Amino acid sequence: MKFETIEYNNYDEKLYKYEHSSGLKCLVIPKKGYSKKYATFSTKYGSVDNEFIIPGDKDTTRVPDGIAHFLEHKLFEQKDGSVMDKFAALGSRPNAYTSFNQTVYLFSCTDLFKENFDLLLNFVQNPYITEESVEREKGIIGQEINMYRDNPGWRVSFNLLEALYEKHPVKLDIAGSIESISKITKETLYKCYETFYHPSNMVVTVVGDVDHNQVFEQIEKNIQSTKKVSEIKRIFPDESESLNKKYVEQIMPVPTPLFYIGFKDNNFNLQGTEILKYTVAIKLLLSMIIGKSSELYSNLYDKGLINSTFETDFSLESSYAYSMLGGESVNPEAVKDLLVKEIRRLQDNGLELNVFERLQKAAKGRFLRQFNSVESISRTFISLYFKGVTMFDYFNVYDTISFDYITDVFYKHFDIEKMALSVVKSSKT
Amino acid sequence: MTNTYDSEDKLNKIIEINGIRVFNIKTNKFKTNTINVFFQDDLNVNSVSLNALFPSVLRRGCKGLPTIKEINLYLEDLYGAIFDCGIAKKGERQIMQFYFEYLSDKYTFNSSSNFEKAFEFLINIIFNPVLQDGTFNEQYVELEKSNLKMLVEGRTNDKVQYAQERCHELMCKDEPFGLYEYGSIDQIERITSDELYKHYKEKVSTLPIDIFVTGELNDKDIDLMKGRLKSIKRTAQKALSTSIVKKFVDKVSYFEDKMDVNQGKLSLGFRTNITAKEDDYYSLLVYNGILGGGMHSKLFQNVREKAGLAYFVFASLEKFKGLMVIESGIDIKEKDHAKELILKQLEDIQAGKISDYELNATIKAIETGILSLKDSQLQIVDFYLSQLIAGTHDTMENVIEKTKNVSKQDVVNVSKKILLDTVYFLTAK
Repeated sequence: MKFETIEYNNYDEKLYKYEHSSGLKCLVIPKKGYSKKYATFSTKYGSVDNEFIIPGDKDTTRVPDGIAHFLEHKLFEQKDGSVMDKFAALGSRPNAYTSFNQTVYLFSCTDLFKENFDLLLNFVQNPYITEESVEREKGIIGQEINMYRDNPGWRVSFNLLEALYEKHPVKLDIAGSIESISKITKETLYKCYETFYHPSNMVVTVVGDVDHNQVFEQIEKNIQSTKKVSEIKRIFPDESESLNKKYVEQIMPVPTPLFYIGFKDNNFNLQGTEILKYTVAIKLLLSMIIGKSSELYSNLYDKGLINSTFETDFSLESSYAYSMLGGESVNPEAVKDLLVKEIRRLQDNGLELNVFERLQKAAKGRFLRQFNSVESISRTFISLYFKGVTMFDYFNVYDTISFDYITDVFYKHFDIEKMALSVVKSSKT
Repeated sequence: MTNTYDSEDKLNKIIEINGIRVFNIKTNKFKTNTINVFFQDDLNVNSVSLNALFPSVLRRGCKGLPTIKEINLYLEDLYGAIFDCGIAKKGERQIMQFYFEYLSDKYTFNSSSNFEKAFEFLINIIFNPVLQDGTFNEQYVELEKSNLKMLVEGRTNDKVQYAQERCHELMCKDEPFGLYEYGSIDQIERITSDELYKHYKEKVSTLPIDIFVTGELNDKDIDLMKGRLKSIKRTAQKALSTSIVKKFVDKVSYFEDKMDVNQGKLSLGFRTNITAKEDDYYSLLVYNGILGGGMHSKLFQNVREKAGLAYFVFASLEKFKGLMVIESGIDIKEKDHAKELILKQLEDIQAGKISDYELNATIKAIETGILSLKDSQLQIVDFYLSQLIAGTHDTMENVIEKTKNVSKQDVVNVSKKILLDTVYFLTAK
């Protein structure tokens, strides 16, 4: 069995990489002394993949919104009952999540890793979907959709995406709508399964105190050796470079308004470590502009315009990218105005080198923290894997990213014309 | 001082000075170390809001670092250290927490001690606040009052958690436990700087303080702590009460809140009259697990999987006060149906309808849960703090052993003590 070993001795971390003949990749990140063993089986298939060409087909397939998430729920059902029962009997915790770009099945256990891992590999490869169970699931997922509809934090972020994007499916709720899931059938679920659950479109990660040889052997034994297939063509609508809307507002019973400000970024066409570099640059810039040690943050906080719920983030995928910042505010418009003023000031005066250097050091320290948790290691590895990079590539990016590069990205990304505001507030305010 | 313990399995008391205890949990598997400082007080209507407020005023600045900006420059310079504070409720105790997480010396490649900087910082934050004319800075107090008010009002944003807390509060409206740990709007509004400062001075010198340090400590670190703690002026330590637990229910209470929501949240509150100190606590723990502690549980299997009524339904214990709450998110018109089906599960356990699978899976799940705590510094610390508050002295291994000894008959016996006290429904207007 041939596998690759990559060591990062300065950080006491290591990675074992293995590829099965079907094209399935497997990553093992050993964590000595940890109790939990955390394994995932993921496919590069998320809520945005609602239009595609199946390898070998000529025509486009358009499927109902929310189907990737629906399929995630249905895979737990097996011919002889629910696979959850089998995990539970082993004392482990199975779970799954669907994001915009991937579906991840996982378990965490402290004992009987081998049995649990076999179970994971097998259930994801063997769907058993019946018409009756599809109908029942519509009730459960309907409740899940309603739960999120009542969550103002969730609403304010999706409304921002609605402002940024006119057509791109990233603006749609991951679970779809009650209406869209009503159209989901057993046949369409199988069709999506056949398309996206091919091993060459998937990755397995194991994080914890495990024997990597045993993990790779289990992959060999359990993965069906199918021929590699050609790439699935994913179709995304022609999205304009400009905003869909500058402002979106929703009335909900919230005592203090919630807001997100976002910047639509059209520079998503990046490859390999360039993706990491760009991501680090924007996260550093967000800290430089409005991080807790910035003038702007102090100013907003002292004026009572933001509080400790304030946060920032950046997402970059192969067909879209955006940054967002927000939280609670009695006056979101005022936050927006002061942010614009600060961006303009920095664009006129230039960024400060010493601020960049201090934040670079802090960001790397905070990044290292992520290696404390098997969950966060796993999450980061999976999302980066589908972009062709690993979490360890970040080390080099943090060390080598330059001030000139940051400055360049600053002018590119923080374009006031591409900035939108989403607000959720009550009818009283 | 020699440390005889060498893993996260043991809590090692290293100092007790002036009513301040310092514990070390020796571990070196994380990239960071943490220092947690906990103040404990009785939950009391007269002090709850004042206690909730003073940590957030302290967080604003201290001697040497008088503003948020300066604090954050300090944290960033310390490789992106994390500092925060918060309030918790455990039984009828209110806990004020100060949290610091810093990169282990091993990864910072410099010779100075990060522990020393972290510890000095926390001592200054807690004992040397920014003063103005002999009292707290008026501006800081006013702003943090309004932030705290927003936090209290904003708790309805997370409806799942809100419904659960609300059920607890309504159930215990005549007991200290019914107080919300972040205080009440009316009280917060009336607080003056002077009053808060006096309150803080009293609390900081009389409340028991527990400090937990995770990571390795050397003799120099311990000497440093001793020196600093000796210099702090403290008066006689306040003797705290224990939670009132025993309560007979003569009649079930019904409450309803109406909000603009799509999904109903049904909460059923029970008195178990059993706390972590009681002999049959472990029977209760297993009972709760069989009923609603995961995917194998009766509630999940029957209410979600078979009936398709809910996306989430679970039971949880408040082990310091002896309460259990069943929480579910359901279609509003299914309220009676859901309640009936939920209560049917309790009756089934009372009638001894417990399968070997349900019992064994529950015990195994509790074991996995306990062992998993060891992979998170926050959870390790919380485990030991909870032991101190409950007045128990269990290790993680101990807890697992006691759980394994629970039989079906024990579960049936304990099920008969559990009394429905309150039904709460969060529903649409």
